[in-house]
Amino acid sequence: MKRSKKNHLLSFVCASLLWLLLGGGCEDNTLKRPEAGDAAGSLDDPPARLEEADEAYLRELARTFARELKKELGSVRTNEGIRGFLEGNDSRRNSGLMDGEGNPHPLLAHCSDSVLEFYLENKEAFEVSSVENLPHDLRWEDGSQEEEFSSPMARRGGVWRTFTSDFPRTLRTVGPDANGAFRRFLLDYNSIGLVMSHPDSDGYFPGLAKRWAVGKDGRTVYFELDEDARFSDGKPVRASDFFFNLYFMRSKHVQAPWYNDFFGKDKFLKITLFDERTLAIKFYKAKPDLVERVSIRPTPEHFYKELGGDYLTKYQWIQEPTTGPYVVREEGVVKGQSITLARLSDWWADDKRFYRRRYNPDRIEVQVIRDPNKAFEVFLKGDLDMFGLSKTEYWYEKLPDDHPLVAKGYLTKVTFFNQVPPPTFALRINSSKPPMDDLNLRIGFHHAMNFELVLEKIFRGDFARMRTVADGYGGRSHPTLQARKFSVETAMKHFANAGYRTRGSDGILVNQSGERLSVELLTGYKHLEDVLVVLREEAKKAGLDLKLKILESTAAWKTASEKKHQVVFSAFNSFVELFPRFWEPFHSDNAYSPAGSEKFDADGVLRPDVVIKTDTNNYTQTAVPEIDRLIDRYREEESLEEITLLAHRLSEAIHDHAVYVPGWKKPWLRMGHWNWVRFPDDWGPRETRDFEEFQVFWIDEEGRTEIESAKSSGKALDGNDGVRIYEKHREKF
Amino acid sequence: MKKFAFNPLTRRKLQRFRSLRRGYWSFLLLLAGFALSLFAELLVNKRALIVRYEGTYHFPTYGAQIPGDRFGLGYEYETNYRELKELFRKENSNNWVLLPLVPYDPYEMDYREETATGFSPPSLKNRHFLGTDKTERDVLARLVYGFRIAFAFALGYLLLTYLIAVVVGSVLGYFGGKTDMMGLRLVEIWSNVPFLYMVIILVSVMPGWWGLGWQVSSLLLIMVLFSWTGMTYYVRAAVYKEKARDYVAAARVIGAGSARIVFRHLLPNVLSTLVTFAPFTVAAAVSSITALDFLGYGLPAPTPSWGELLKQGVDNLRIAPWIVASASAALVVSLTLVTFVGEAVREAFDPKKFSTYQ
Repeated sequence: MKRSKKNHLLSFVCASLLWLLLGGGCEDNTLKRPEAGDAAGSLDDPPARLEEADEAYLRELARTFARELKKELGSVRTNEGIRGFLEGNDSRRNSGLMDGEGNPHPLLAHCSDSVLEFYLENKEAFEVSSVENLPHDLRWEDGSQEEEFSSPMARRGGVWRTFTSDFPRTLRTVGPDANGAFRRFLLDYNSIGLVMSHPDSDGYFPGLAKRWAVGKDGRTVYFELDEDARFSDGKPVRASDFFFNLYFMRSKHVQAPWYNDFFGKDKFLKITLFDERTLAIKFYKAKPDLVERVSIRPTPEHFYKELGGDYLTKYQWIQEPTTGPYVVREEGVVKGQSITLARLSDWWADDKRFYRRRYNPDRIEVQVIRDPNKAFEVFLKGDLDMFGLSKTEYWYEKLPDDHPLVAKGYLTKVTFFNQVPPPTFALRINSSKPPMDDLNLRIGFHHAMNFELVLEKIFRGDFARMRTVADGYGGRSHPTLQARKFSVETAMKHFANAGYRTRGSDGILVNQSGERLSVELLTGYKHLEDVLVVLREEAKKAGLDLKLKILESTAAWKTASEKKHQVVFSAFNSFVELFPRFWEPFHSDNAYSPAGSEKFDADGVLRPDVVIKTDTNNYTQTAVPEIDRLIDRYREEESLEEITLLAHRLSEAIHDHAVYVPGWKKPWLRMGHWNWVRFPDDWGPRETRDFEEFQVFWIDEEGRTEIESAKSSGKALDGNDGVRIYEKHREKF
Repeated sequence: MKKFAFNPLTRRKLQRFRSLRRGYWSFLLLLAGFALSLFAELLVNKRALIVRYEGTYHFPTYGAQIPGDRFGLGYEYETNYRELKELFRKENSNNWVLLPLVPYDPYEMDYREETATGFSPPSLKNRHFLGTDKTERDVLARLVYGFRIAFAFALGYLLLTYLIAVVVGSVLGYFGGKTDMMGLRLVEIWSNVPFLYMVIILVSVMPGWWGLGWQVSSLLLIMVLFSWTGMTYYVRAAVYKEKARDYVAAARVIGAGSARIVFRHLLPNVLSTLVTFAPFTVAAAVSSITALDFLGYGLPAPTPSWGELLKQGVDNLRIAPWIVASASAALVVSLTLVTFVGEAVREAFDPKKFSTYQ
């Protein structure tokens, strides 16, 4: 007991040290980064990304340290640089970065020496070619067959008043502290990438690129930039800004290991510039959703010129020029209290299809309100325009349908059925830890979890039970598989098979050697304590003692990533992707070393000398040769049909292995808004997961005055239905 | 051995304390409350007091859990005695069940009614006298068990902090000189460790598989560890003062050793200082454990606790006012009683009986 406590302390201290070393805070996660902790946001907690634990982050951190160390130790790296090139290193000429006289290609004429040097050192990844070399048989696409999703009724103007739970610790979007809740206003819901995936269909629509084409190899995408595309400081977006993006993202100065890895050499193989507005990006694998994956954002080279050790401090409170419509100006920042974003009056995409009639408010006022309950009161007062009502107590008790503000037609409550992969709320059983290494026990455990009661009583039947490990991926999700249902008899039958047959004096099952059937359930979600309390009380009926271990989130996820848990209750945000990921959570390479099939003996049984691998997403410690084989094939596969089939087989195999008790999913988004906020007829696109995301609403300032005066006189307003349900995208099960 | 008797001074102090009605009655009330709460299982419990089934009597309150099969209910898990009572009533047989006054335990969710989804208002019919909380647990049951835990905690806290403070304080005060110089600096350094942060940090990494008892005691130890310093100064000063008196010199002259002087002569005289502080320390301990629970760093879920109830109440002020009302009333009443006791003790131990401040 003493030892484990010591270990906990030790790991905590280590984590804190790492944290302090890098200046504190978590990392960025703009792109598709699985993220424990944040899924809490789906219950309309303020997205408290800042403080959330991040095993992925820690993992990346460790990796970066290792990389840096290796570099330092073996610093025999040949640093020939530009001079080396000038001295006649012929092997470098064919990349087209430099001409015969040692001058940079005209497209790179503006680059600083250190940036050029970086390109030269990585010339396999950076190439300058000419338009003649563009393949002639490209099939260009421009998304013109897709439909716009904004409303023709929308009007520009007005102020949108919203809140965030913490004052941002920086206005950078990359680097320590940058992935706070506020980043969505700077980056995620603001900035425009090369090509955007359409939220109502499986297609794409133009972003900075007005057209794009997938090359013959299936791994390269060609983009032609829109001639109007500009940054918010008025400078045009150049093709070389995408070169610079890789320079930026791979730099150690940004202190963003996750980005360093995501944009690493092994994934983004090469960027080729053809002219000022044409480029190609080569990815490491031909995936069905390739276009989306390589649609990166440009980094304004004219703004940074190059990066140095002062990146973090220099840009701490300066927003980099963005391709999006909203900017933070100095006068808009009231430290500790609020930030106001101003709409560019002449945004380059103002009249483009898919962008017109979106981003309507002239200003976004983001107040800092730390307590969500207080924010709710501010909303009821009319000082916030919208508020998330996903939590049951907000929807039913705090703002019931007959609440005067709703009944009098000032406020509207909206339920919008969306279709997005849900955050994976589930119990993940660590199959490497006795007694849970016994399949019978694990199946019994599944049947002892009364999620039905949780859904009925805590979530009042508003949520649906998650069925498989990969719900919400359209055809890739298993069509029929169901989660195991609560049943005391079935659970006890399986527990009996595992040797737990008699009940002790406290009603908990005991096996022949006198061990109690007691399992520890770890989590970092304090706000979901009720759910666990219900599970615990119900599990007693099946003779299972569930010990709750609700820790502060950093400590909890750290314990889990060290694989010290028996069962962990957590959720990962899944991203709107075409097909689910299996390798990270279920491949044996993420459970044990050595890699590959060496960890199994001839009968496919795990060798006793394997070493548990920590800091991976395989929280179930799944190591099954058959599942490995399926995942390997799944990862290699490039055809969507095969991928679909394999995804189904994998879902079944993992179900049979019984390491994952699916929790619940929320098939909708619920929010409340004052009626001066107007929405399109369908309310929003299908893939909306946050009402702030696609910005198709508009603010009617006249309506605001009208409603406010009606409110002060107590007069009811007609023509507002108060409660609305949008069921267009409701899944039929 | 000599028959135990208080010395006349102490007896006078006790008499004086008894004569201060408000403090004395508060003390009795608190004592009775705490004594009752030690047997809370007989008053507030989901297990029945007595079950008469087929001619035999069962007393399920203490001891092993009785499976439903025993009463022909057809399940192996613990009998639901409220349902059993209903059943017997309907059957109209000789079997009967005697339930405690509040037939709920603090952990159990009462989802009997179709519409029960949390926050049921107080109801005599369902015997939820103070309503239910978010997961339909009985508020009164949680208050009662929360009281027991909070006060047991406070008493443990009192004993431990005073123990450390007395030991360290008397060592510093009695030996004085360099010991005092160095020791006091160490105490000062230690007292500058931010108490709340340390508790929050340590509690967050505390392993949860230790049973409730272990968790409560480790929380207690952590709190004691960072808060014994305050009392040390008083003990040290009192020892300093006392050791310069003639009776100490006399004892030394007739050859008494350090231990004897400290334990037989100094401590009894120093204790009166401590006793006057004790009730306030209890109040402080109860409020700190409540505050920690309120912040979510106190006792592990789902332990019944006042802080947790207060938190729920504040979060749901509009929809479930009975939670915050009961919890804050309980807190105010008990802390006021403790403070009354404290005032009375202070007055009783005050050598200036007719103080000009009266």
